[in-house]
Amino acid sequence: MKAPFSPYLNRITPALRALLEDLGRDYEYVSLLSTDSVGFSTSISQRSKNVSGKNMTTERGTVVRVYKGGQYSECAFNQLDTARVGEKARKIRCELEKQFAMLDRAGMSAYETGMLADEPLELFVEKETEQLPEKTDLSTLVEKLTALSGEGVKTIPGALDCITSASSTHISKLFLTKNRFLRQSYVYTEASIAAYAPNEQGEMKIVHRGVSGCCGPEILEGLKEKLSELPETMQDVLGAEKIVPGEYEIIADPTVTGLIAHEAFGHGVEMDMFVKGRALGAEYIDKRVGSDKVTMHEGALCAESVTAYVFDDEGTLAGDVIEIDHGILKTGICDALAALRLGTKPTGNGKRENYAHKAYTRMTNTLFDSGNDELEDMIASISYGYLLRGMQSGMEDPKHWGIQCIIDRGYEIRDGKLTGKVVSPIVMTGYVPDLLGSISMASPDRRVEGNGACGKGHKEWVKVADGGPYLKMKARLG
Amino acid sequence: MLDIIKKKLAALGCDAWKLTETVNRGWEFYVIRDRLDQNRATEVKTISVDVFKSIENGKFLGSASGEIPPTASEEEIDERLAALLYQAGLVKNPYYTLQDKQVDVPEKREPVDVEQIAENFFRAIRSVEQTKTEDINSYEIFVSEITRHTLNSNGVEYTCTYPKSTVEMVVNARKDGHEIELYRIYTSGTCDAEKLRSDVADVLRFGRDRLTAVPTPKLGTGAVVFSTGDAVEIYNYFVFRMNATMKYRRFSDWEIGKPVVENAQGDIISVEAVSSLPNSSRDYPVDEEGAVIRDRWLIRDGVAENFFGSRQYSQYLGLQDSSNVYNVRFSGGKESAEQIRRGDYLEVVEFSDFHVDPMGGDIAGEIRVGYWHHDGKITVVTGGSVSGNMLEAARTMTFSSETRQFDTHVIPAVTRLEGLRITGVADVE
Repeated sequence: MKAPFSPYLNRITPALRALLEDLGRDYEYVSLLSTDSVGFSTSISQRSKNVSGKNMTTERGTVVRVYKGGQYSECAFNQLDTARVGEKARKIRCELEKQFAMLDRAGMSAYETGMLADEPLELFVEKETEQLPEKTDLSTLVEKLTALSGEGVKTIPGALDCITSASSTHISKLFLTKNRFLRQSYVYTEASIAAYAPNEQGEMKIVHRGVSGCCGPEILEGLKEKLSELPETMQDVLGAEKIVPGEYEIIADPTVTGLIAHEAFGHGVEMDMFVKGRALGAEYIDKRVGSDKVTMHEGALCAESVTAYVFDDEGTLAGDVIEIDHGILKTGICDALAALRLGTKPTGNGKRENYAHKAYTRMTNTLFDSGNDELEDMIASISYGYLLRGMQSGMEDPKHWGIQCIIDRGYEIRDGKLTGKVVSPIVMTGYVPDLLGSISMASPDRRVEGNGACGKGHKEWVKVADGGPYLKMKARLG
Repeated sequence: MLDIIKKKLAALGCDAWKLTETVNRGWEFYVIRDRLDQNRATEVKTISVDVFKSIENGKFLGSASGEIPPTASEEEIDERLAALLYQAGLVKNPYYTLQDKQVDVPEKREPVDVEQIAENFFRAIRSVEQTKTEDINSYEIFVSEITRHTLNSNGVEYTCTYPKSTVEMVVNARKDGHEIELYRIYTSGTCDAEKLRSDVADVLRFGRDRLTAVPTPKLGTGAVVFSTGDAVEIYNYFVFRMNATMKYRRFSDWEIGKPVVENAQGDIISVEAVSSLPNSSRDYPVDEEGAVIRDRWLIRDGVAENFFGSRQYSQYLGLQDSSNVYNVRFSGGKESAEQIRRGDYLEVVEFSDFHVDPMGGDIAGEIRVGYWHHDGKITVVTGGSVSGNMLEAARTMTFSSETRQFDTHVIPAVTRLEGLRITGVADVE
């Protein structure tokens, strides 16, 4: 079935057009993004159960972007009386004028920018889904999650509890300018299962798995299979030792590969950072930043994941950019305003946390390409190192190309064989070109995961997905 | 809208409910170098609804939460409330009651001058002394007036208005064609210009020093000193474990009347929950459930004294007169900051991202700028990482008698953790 576009947004479209026209009398460029996204989230454990009709992407509201005299301004709101659009337009003008008066007093000048192109385009896309979150039988879902939680506690060694959680959003967005009228509707869903248990030292250890995709809650059926992987993982983590700090040959599993992609040349080539002179990547276009084995894609069109939209939050169509081609940095990703300032084209990566937040250049799907090396051959090629599995978190450093990845666990490899020794947790750090330059093998399989959220600095959380194959490289672990 | 929702909930036969209407009126400014990139104004009204349903004659309580958009039609409100009530019946949690004690503190309704606060931030930032080699790359200013109105089916009702501000700042330093950056994010109630200027001046100095940094030596293990906002992560480990939710869900094994750190040989932890801290971004005396926040010790002289938390989990633990807690004040240690900085140690003033996992206690952070104090010499270092675990580190943790406020937390100004793993980049000479 198709995910139907929001009736609410259809209903207010004439009012939005009237608002656009009214503001167009004073401003050279006006755009509106209106959203109406509904969904659910639920979290079930043995000791606590929650159900909610909201999650991080449910929203309803409008943001207006206006341009005059080289300056862009925005107003975001979620109250719109369709019979009093003129009043709303006056309020927007008044609020912005008050801001400019204050800015004048403070002695601020504008970062002058050209006007956005407004090429004519009409688009109406309703993506396929098997189920809609708003129509999902939550009773059955809660029963299934409860059963999985119970099974987790029984089967996972030492587990104090097992938390199963799921969320799904039916997203509807409308973008409107004088010449563009874009509408999209799609559903994405994610779910995870996590268990925790103390080790002998009393340190609480957590193991987790997830499923996600640009689809309805039907994907949650995959959680049961994920649960079957957790007992062994918990056993490994509970018996893990601390790693001896040093530089090692490593094999990154697809979740770790995805984290590296995200932190290394995800944030590193967000081109709004180029405008501020905050990214070293700007100086390395057409230069080598990785080995021949490294090809990296970025774009909402790259995978049917949690961020597989059709147009971004500035009305730019989604793309598929080759950022790194066989080790050579080709381009970055760009929102519409940064593109204007850099004299390039936007790539469909202008994203907002929600309608009330500013649009920045943000990642969508960030993926390493696959190779031809089997995992067994990769392990056999290592004299002393680790197979790294499971990501916890990471942090970017685009200005200096440092990278920090917190990884769940490492499986020791000696003389081409896994020894059974496990270390956990692991802090992987390094210099991005050194890390990517050391990639010497890549497996044929590739996985994409989208269970996390990504911040810009320490705020502005959006859904992203990342992934890749198993990769062999050298890294500093601690 | 709230009255309509109340009537509809009554008509649906809802056992209990809680409504929270929050209006956030914000001004935002984005600046590149010294020029305005973009200005934004927001006005967002959020109406949150929690509905509760008694299950099996009061043995269990089901609940579900959701939002009603201010633009929702009557029909849509009906649909959303009916869905919530149905969902509430799906989750069986042990029974608890909503807040029923009437609020006995005055409402906080002083209007916030968003315009003036924003202007003060601009003036403060633009008065920071910058040079040709150390300057501000870019910054973002967010100032909000937030009005929160909470009411529930027991007649508890409270309204508060408060300011919240955030400044994100990126600082550059450069020398001989090499440029570096440092990052800070400050959250507060309003603009404390002097504090902001002083902190930014420190960051500019760290930036200048980073230009001379050498790769962090492979130190193995050693003492690490924390003197910036990153230290809040360390102290949150203690607050998290005193949260009733974490205790009930078995993330915390601490018990009232028992030491929180076994065989403590360092300074002894004491932390007090306080209803108010000057210029805190969460300076309101009543929590989101309508419970008055009262000053109380969470941990005193190293011994767990009071868990705190939401109504639900507080009741599960049998806590009386409990509430959520937003502002905390840690006591200082026995020695001065100068004494804490003794002997050999690595003082890290900028991490890529410093994190203490409050459940497992794991400590991790990549070093962007650190000062390695060794044999009376100071070397600026960068690269590598610090790691360890709080279970171990808390035993020998020491901290200064001087304290410092970071938004909602007053913590010792200088904290020292012994025996952390320092994964360096360069061989030790």
